[in-house]
Amino acid sequence: MITTRRLQDKRVLITGGSRGLGLAIAKACATHGAKIAFTFSTDTHDADTARAALVALGCEPLVYQGSVADSAHVKATVADVTAKWGGIDVLVNNAGITKILPIALLEEADWDAVMDVNVKGAYLYSRAVLRAMIRAKAGHILNIGSFASERVIEAPVHYAAAKSALRGMTEALAREVGRYNIKVNLLSPGLLDCGLAQMLPKHRIDQYLAQAALGRLGTAAEVAEIAAFLVSDDNSFMAAAKIVADGGL
Amino acid sequence: MTVTRELHTTTSLCKVCKEAVPAQVVALASNEVWMRKVCDTHGGQEVRLSTNAAWYEATRAQRQLKVAPRIIRHEVDHGCPFDCGPCTSHTQKVRLPVVTITSACNLDCPICYVHNKNDDAYHMPVEDFQLVLDHLRTDHGGELDIINLTGGEPTMHPRLFDFLDMAKVAGIHRVTVCSNGIRLAKDEDFVERLASYGARIALSFDTFDPHADKLLQGANLLATKLKCLELLEKHQVDTTLIPVMTRGVNDHEVGKILDFAVRRSNVRHVEVHTMTYTGQSGSTFQRDQRTGRISMYEVLEQIEATTDGLLRPTDFVTSPCAHPLCYQIAYMLIDPDGGAPIPFTRFLPASELHDALSDRLYLEPTAKLEESLSNAIDRLWVDDANPESARALRLLRGLLDAMFPSDHPITQREALAAGERAIKAVYIHSHMDEETFDTERAVDCCDSNCYADGKTIPVCNYNVLYREKEASFNVEPARWGTRAGGQRIFTLPVVRS
Repeated sequence: MITTRRLQDKRVLITGGSRGLGLAIAKACATHGAKIAFTFSTDTHDADTARAALVALGCEPLVYQGSVADSAHVKATVADVTAKWGGIDVLVNNAGITKILPIALLEEADWDAVMDVNVKGAYLYSRAVLRAMIRAKAGHILNIGSFASERVIEAPVHYAAAKSALRGMTEALAREVGRYNIKVNLLSPGLLDCGLAQMLPKHRIDQYLAQAALGRLGTAAEVAEIAAFLVSDDNSFMAAAKIVADGGL
Repeated sequence: MTVTRELHTTTSLCKVCKEAVPAQVVALASNEVWMRKVCDTHGGQEVRLSTNAAWYEATRAQRQLKVAPRIIRHEVDHGCPFDCGPCTSHTQKVRLPVVTITSACNLDCPICYVHNKNDDAYHMPVEDFQLVLDHLRTDHGGELDIINLTGGEPTMHPRLFDFLDMAKVAGIHRVTVCSNGIRLAKDEDFVERLASYGARIALSFDTFDPHADKLLQGANLLATKLKCLELLEKHQVDTTLIPVMTRGVNDHEVGKILDFAVRRSNVRHVEVHTMTYTGQSGSTFQRDQRTGRISMYEVLEQIEATTDGLLRPTDFVTSPCAHPLCYQIAYMLIDPDGGAPIPFTRFLPASELHDALSDRLYLEPTAKLEESLSNAIDRLWVDDANPESARALRLLRGLLDAMFPSDHPITQREALAAGERAIKAVYIHSHMDEETFDTERAVDCCDSNCYADGKTIPVCNYNVLYREKEASFNVEPARWGTRAGGQRIFTLPVVRS
């Protein structure tokens, strides 16, 4: 039972917040008292459901549809959130896609799509919010990575590359903007009870569980709670950190 | 009849009294394979098993993955096939549980290989079905993912949907209901309900020819079958077509049936059965001459001939879960652009397809299959001078796109269903009757009729010997001791070469 409100009145923007881990982070942050804005790409039904879930938590979310790889969408979203709230304290770069493909079937378009959403999107959103954060000399940017970049596992090449790129981006950006008290971190979850794990065949899940110290899948809610801590003022000294929450692979 | 060599010996049955008799399987100079045996009472008998001795021998030598039943319910007393339960001589656990839920049927097909009874019809009580499920789960070590409900005509069971509910609760993801399609063609609500339960239909579908239809099913049912299939496709009920191949009657249509199946979005498999003279058919269909008997290899040849080589005998593999002479299996990738399907064996060594089927009768997304397909994709990619390789890669890419869409997550079960829509399988299943009966095959059987008390009986043993003894399915059941030899005074060994 969460009793703290460590994000009271913080202005949190989450990309890809309409389902899965993104929605869980939005709900965790809302539970901690934050204002929530989230983006989604295509599924309006999911977005409506997410909005309703957040409203049920006493939140009035701002919701934006568009691709994180579309700079016009990014600029417009950040401008609108800033106009409505007067600023953004927290950015969670959660939007991400993957495609389970071996290298033989991985076409250039597949590579570009994953890189656009998973890497370029994080770059565009980070750059869009940083100007105001530097001005405020405060802020949190949390990139959602993956265990695919942290451990030697079977993962689609473009996805592993994109998540590894986020890892590098996190370290470099954290060093560049740390002097403004902006903390950039990377949270890399393992297989969770949502998203990819739902699609994997049983033997893949079994392989994962056999390697994981805790012997179970993670839940989106418990990883979201870690995220809520990382973007709160309670996190006063973690920057350029790569936090892996994978049950102990 | 010039015998060139003995291939093996076994135990068979007399075609008249169904006594167990020693049998010899021989190759002839003509390259045919025949079984020869002598009953002390009814004399010498012989039956052709195959038209290709080399194929028969190579197929019989295929590897099997034998996993013995966890629970033995009968000691060897009289010898196979008279001690079913399973007995200690049985080598294979039940991979395809078959549950006969009713004796009622709204057809009287001359080729039906079981006995049915409509007067005072038997309908399995739901309590008994629950016991069947409980026993199967125990016997499978907790895992139970497939079951087949049959009859009679299972759609006549008044509590069929309760059974489907119970199977779902038991965690079974592949529940197949055998049907002749009559009820389904007339009752769209029923079909819609089947779809909502995720049930699969195994539809008997023998012919497009009205004359053959009358001969095989005793009625002209083509319009009914087509209407049934229209509704099954409309509601996307996964369907298996089951044609019974009968030499000289409908064997020339097998290619047409396969082509028809390929074009139906909801048809997942075609399971060709070779004509078997048990049950109703033993007494009514070609009673004396049995000219419709067709061997597995003849069906393979007919498939190649009537599909213009789309499927060749070498595209089929045996099931590792069964005796190699019982199943032939081919899988094909479907081209959504209307091109010819590509058999898996054109990009995957047959041995790898065989191994991928190692633990199940149906292809499932196992680690072994994943590794094999991954290797196949690399081989196709490297072979870039071959346009067929590029097409196969395109189809495999489509398969992955369907199973792992990037724009929205789907469940594992949805991914499996999406994968199945991009693939079609052709099974040839050769049942035995008393003439062709071979205990070597019977002891390796993985398809069993399952009872509430936990007893399981391999389906051929059941069809040949046991069903006719059950009052539930016969107005005047046969008795042990009248035809089958009853309490035998000697232990009959399983004879192997």
